[in-house]
Amino acid sequence: MMQTVQVGAWKGNLLAGSPDADMYTRSTIALNALLALGRDETMYFIASQDDAGHPLRSNCSYRVEGVPPKARWWSITAYADDMFLFDAPNQHYSLNGTTARLDTDGRFVFTTGGQEQPGTHWLPTPGRRGMVLTLRLYNPEPELQAAPASLVPPSIKAVGACV
Amino acid sequence: MKRLSNLQRLWFYRVLTLITTAILVHILAVWAAPRLIMQVLMHGPIAQTMNMQNRAAFPPPVTAAARTVVMPSPDLLYSVCVFDVRDGPVRISANPKLKSYWSIALYAANSDNFFVINDRKSGNKPVDLWLVSGGGSPNTPPIPAGAQVVVAPSRTGFLLMRVLTGDYEAEKAVIEPARHTLTCTPV
Repeated sequence: MMQTVQVGAWKGNLLAGSPDADMYTRSTIALNALLALGRDETMYFIASQDDAGHPLRSNCSYRVEGVPPKARWWSITAYADDMFLFDAPNQHYSLNGTTARLDTDGRFVFTTGGQEQPGTHWLPTPGRRGMVLTLRLYNPEPELQAAPASLVPPSIKAVGACV
Repeated sequence: MKRLSNLQRLWFYRVLTLITTAILVHILAVWAAPRLIMQVLMHGPIAQTMNMQNRAAFPPPVTAAARTVVMPSPDLLYSVCVFDVRDGPVRISANPKLKSYWSIALYAANSDNFFVINDRKSGNKPVDLWLVSGGGSPNTPPIPAGAQVVVAPSRTGFLLMRVLTGDYEAEKAVIEPARHTLTCTPV
């Protein structure tokens, strides 16, 4: 069975949390996403690179844009490379299905980085270190569970120069 | 075919032993990592402080200071329990009565998620789970009608209740009482 899927910059492990996981998958999940749920409950996609293939850095700014995934609820959270939350001064750690404001085309947008980008939801990522973005899909629709590659991935584009 | 000298044979066996040992250590480390991480989670200093052995505990909302479990979700309010079914079943009950997502997930000692129930699966009705040991236990009382029996693949494990909160401060008057309906009690 295929264990991983990549859609755009986002990678998902289809056996996360599953008793069917092999010992390498189980060990990887324990280290990086302990207490994950199986994909019928929640699907996880993690991006460690932008759309151009460059590793995500907290001292760079990124514009993340997309359409709400086919799930009951979703969130995108910024984590430092130790897989814990950034110490965000505005307490904004994620954008989610509740906080996202959709434009007239039904799209959401937010930015990450050390400095706020005007006009968007801002997730501060202080410091100069690696980072990842985690997309969680709660109760994903059955067709998405069956075909994870059908996810319409949010785009991740670097904005301006890194500081 | 040229025969190996004693010295060559000695080095062959040394290298073979080294490679075999390295492979065994690698396999052991990969196998043990999730179990050790779960042991620290279930029995480490934070677990001791929270007093969550066969007892529900209710950590505060996730912030940047939360560094117990990797990738904590800031959008969920967590409640926890370390279950131990060695001496008999553990009864897990909850009745959150929330319109938004919540779930109760059970993890084995090797970190596998072996059971989950959420608001939809439960029909948003009270949850009454009797968690029992797969090998049986000496003190198993009759399980009441209507309770759902769940067989734990390990004698100890971890319960994680998730309650969705898009805005904790605005919702806490509702979701705090809801999550405090969770009980995790040895029978």
